[in-house]
Amino acid sequence: MEGVAEFNLVARKPCFGLPTACPTCLPVYLYLKFAHFPFHVAFNSLYPDSDQIPYVENGTYMAYNNENGGVIERLKEDGIVDLDSQVNSQPEWISTKAMISSWLADALLYELWLGSDGSSACKIYYSDLAWPIGKFLFLQQVRTVKQQLGITKDNSEWREEEIYGRANIAYKALSTRLGEHDFLFDNRPSSVDAFFLGHVFVTLQVLPETSVLRSKLIENGNLVRFADRVKIEFIEAGSSSSVPQFHSDPSSSTPRRVPSNWSKIFKLHLYLIFINWYLFDFFAIAKPVVLCLVAIVICSCFRSPGLKCQLGIMANYGSWFGCLLIINDWSSAKCMDFLKMP
Amino acid sequence: MGNPDEKPDPIISDYEIEEEEDDDEEDLEEEEDDDELEDDSDVAAPKVRGNREAEVRAAKAKMDNLFRRMRTGTVPLRVHNVIVKGNTKTKEQLIEAELEAIRNASSMQEIIEAASVANFRLRELECFDSVNITLDAGPPELPGTTNVIVEVVEAKRPFTGQIGTFTKGEAKSSTVEGSVKYRNLFGYGDIWDGTLAYGFDRSAEVSAGVYFPRFERLVTPVMARVSLLSQDWLKFSSYKERSLGLSLGLFSSTHHDLAYNFAWRTLTDPSQMSSMSIRRQLGHNLLSSLKYTFKFDKRNSTVRPTRGHAFVSTTQVSGLTPDSRSLRFLRQEFDLRYAVPFGFYHTALNFGVSSGVLVPLGRGFLSMSSSLPERFFLGGNLSPVCTLGGPSALWGFKTRGMGPTESRRQMRGNSNDENADPTGVDFLGGDLAVSAFADLSFDFPLKFFKEKGIHGHLFACAGNIAKLTENEYRNLSLPKFLESFRSSVGAGIVLPTNLFRLEVNYCYILKKFGHDNGKSGFQISISAP
Repeated sequence: MEGVAEFNLVARKPCFGLPTACPTCLPVYLYLKFAHFPFHVAFNSLYPDSDQIPYVENGTYMAYNNENGGVIERLKEDGIVDLDSQVNSQPEWISTKAMISSWLADALLYELWLGSDGSSACKIYYSDLAWPIGKFLFLQQVRTVKQQLGITKDNSEWREEEIYGRANIAYKALSTRLGEHDFLFDNRPSSVDAFFLGHVFVTLQVLPETSVLRSKLIENGNLVRFADRVKIEFIEAGSSSSVPQFHSDPSSSTPRRVPSNWSKIFKLHLYLIFINWYLFDFFAIAKPVVLCLVAIVICSCFRSPGLKCQLGIMANYGSWFGCLLIINDWSSAKCMDFLKMP
Repeated sequence: MGNPDEKPDPIISDYEIEEEEDDDEEDLEEEEDDDELEDDSDVAAPKVRGNREAEVRAAKAKMDNLFRRMRTGTVPLRVHNVIVKGNTKTKEQLIEAELEAIRNASSMQEIIEAASVANFRLRELECFDSVNITLDAGPPELPGTTNVIVEVVEAKRPFTGQIGTFTKGEAKSSTVEGSVKYRNLFGYGDIWDGTLAYGFDRSAEVSAGVYFPRFERLVTPVMARVSLLSQDWLKFSSYKERSLGLSLGLFSSTHHDLAYNFAWRTLTDPSQMSSMSIRRQLGHNLLSSLKYTFKFDKRNSTVRPTRGHAFVSTTQVSGLTPDSRSLRFLRQEFDLRYAVPFGFYHTALNFGVSSGVLVPLGRGFLSMSSSLPERFFLGGNLSPVCTLGGPSALWGFKTRGMGPTESRRQMRGNSNDENADPTGVDFLGGDLAVSAFADLSFDFPLKFFKEKGIHGHLFACAGNIAKLTENEYRNLSLPKFLESFRSSVGAGIVLPTNLFRLEVNYCYILKKFGHDNGKSGFQISISAP
C-alpha cells in the first residue's frame, strides 16, 4: 500500500513456538530483532516453493531473498540495517559464516526433508495448502533436496554420515568460538549470530527429539544456553511493535479450519450421491445436490460455527428427507421439465 | 379447405386401385402380347419400350398424386420398423436415440420432417461419411405402415485436424487453435481431441478432451477435458497464471450449461516487480467449482444483431471439496442485450448492460481478499457488441486498462525489464463491475459495401469497477460509484467475416481517472462471436 512507512517482513507461517519456523526466514527475523529495527510480520503460506520469500517491503521498496545475496545483504547494501560493519572484515567472521551457510544449512536441509518423516516440513510449508497440492509439492521438494545434496541410492549412507559429521565439527567449532560470551564476535550481534541462531531454533524446536542432528547440538550446552538467552531477550520480550505471540498453533492470518462435522457431512453426501447415481437417473440426484450446495453456501456465511453446523445439518437432512419422500420418476420428470424451459 | 370430417383416403387404397389398374393393364398387356405373337416380330421392341414408358408414367402419376395429397392434407402413415444398416463400430443405441421422433410420427409429413432432423443430427455426430434415410413399404398385412431404413457409412478416416479462431466463454479474448481429433473410438460417437491454442491476450493452452454426445442412459452430452493453461499478465498486473485442470461438462442444452472445474492454479511473478496486493496473491490454489450458465439469445445475428434480445446469467460457486483450504468464492455475472431495427439502411440500435460481483466465501468474508484471477477487469480489443457474457469489454481502454491500481516496486536506477509498464502500476481489478453500451449500426449507401456486409457504427459506452472486499465496501456508495464511471464515444467501420468481426474505430475518451490506460484515437478490435 502506498504511503506505508513501516517495514514488513513477509515470511512463512509461525509454528512450533517460533515466530516463523522456516530456516530461511527466521535468520532475517532475528537480524532485524538484533538491530531493534521496527517492523511488522506478514505471512505467505500459499507459496512454499518460492525462493523470493522471505522479503522485506516498505511501500515500493523491496528486498527479496533471491536478490543480491539475500535480504540481509540487501538491507546492508541499501544502508537500512547493518550489524556487520565492524566485523565483516575479520577472516574468522567470513569463514564462520561460510561454515554456517554450507555445513549447517545442508545438515538442517537433510534432517528436515530426508532424515525425518517430513511431518515437520509439511506443517511449516504445506499446512495451509489443499492436500493434493501440498503432497505433490512435498514430494517434489524431497527430490530437489536429494539432487541439491547429491544423494543417490548408492551413496545415501556415507553421505548422511558426512553431513552429520560436518555438522558435529561445526557445532564444536562454534561452541569453542562462543565460549561464555554473549555473541559469536565482539560480544555484539551480527548476521552470523542471526544465521546460526535461526539454525539452532529450528533444530531444537522443530525437529523431533529422536533427531540425530538435534542430539548432536544438545551436546554443546553453551550453544543451547545461548539460544535460550536470545529467545528470552529478543523474541519473547516483544521489544518491536506488532510482534505476533508465537505458539504451536497454525497461523491466524489464513483461517481455513472448519468444524470437523463439515467434512463428515460432505462425505455422507458423497456416499449418498454415488448410491443415488447407481440406483436412479442422473436427474434424480440433481435436486438434493442443488439443495446441498445451497445449504453449504448459506451456512458458510454465518459467523458462529455452532450455528453454522446446526443449520447445515438441519438443511442437509431436510433436503435428503424431502427427496426420499419424492418418487424417483416424479423428481426426474420435474427436473427434465425445468431444464426444458426456454 | 376440404370437409374436416372427411378423412383422406389412406394411401394404400390408391395402391390397391392402382394395382387393380395394373392388373387390368397386365390383362390388357397379356392380350396384347397374345396378339403380338401373332403379329410380325418387327414391332415387338417398340411395344416393350412402350410398356416401360407406361410404367414410368404410372409411377410418376402415383408420385404426383402423393405430393398433391401431402400438400392438401395429412397423409396418415405409421412406422412399422426402423432398420439400421452400415454400423459396424457405432453402437446401435446411439443411432436409435436420434430416431425416436420418427418412430412416434403418425403421418408422412411428420416422418419426412423427423427423418430430415435425424439425418442432420446423425451427421452432426461427425462419425459418418454419409447418412441416408429411406422409406420403404411396410408389410402387406399391415396397411398404412412403412419401414424406415437408415443407412450409415462410418467414417473411414477417424483422424481429423483443424485450425481456426475461436472465442470460448471462459477465454478473455479470441484464440487461434489447432486441434487433432479421433472420432468414434468406442462406438459411442465419442470424439477425442488434442488441442493447442494461443490467445491474443498472451495465453497459451494445451488440452486433451473427450466428448460423448450420448453415453449410456445419459440424455445430455458429457464432456471431459484436461488442460494446462498459461496466461501472461506481467504487462498489466505483474503476474503470470498457470493452471492445470480438469473440467467436466455435466449438462448442456440450448439454454442451460452446467460444468465442473477442478484446477491447480499457480500465480507467479518472475519479474519481481509486482505491487503489494499482487504479491499477497502469489502462490498455489486449488479450485473446485461448479459453473452454471443460462443463456437466452433471440438475436438474429451474433456478428451484427439488428433485432432481438439476449440474456446470459453465469453463476460460479467454488470451494466444493472436503478440504477447507481450497479457494472459496461466489461469482455472478449478468448480461442483457437488446437490438431495435429502424428499417432504413439496415440501421439498428444495440443496447447492452453487463454486471458482475465476486465475493469470497467463509467466515468474515468481506474482510478477506478476493481471488485475483476471478476479479473483473474492463478493457481490451474486444467489441462489446460481440462479447456476450459478463462485463469485460470497453471501447477506448486497453486490456485491463481501468479500475483500482497500485504502484509497483521501484528499482534503484533505470529498470531494463521490458515487461515493466512505464506507468509503474498494477491493475488490480475489482469485485463489482458494471458496464453499458449503445451502438447504432447502419449500412453505407454503396452497393459494394452492402454486398460485403461492411457497415458503419456510432457507439457510446461506460463502465466502472469497484473493490468490495477487505472492508472496502464501507467506502463505497452509489453516488460515488456513479461519479467514477468511465465513458467513451466513437465511430467506426465494421468488417464482418465468417470467423470474426473486425472493427476500425475512432474512440474519444469522455471520462477517465487516475492511471486508467485509455486514450482517444484509432483502435482496432477483433472479436469472434
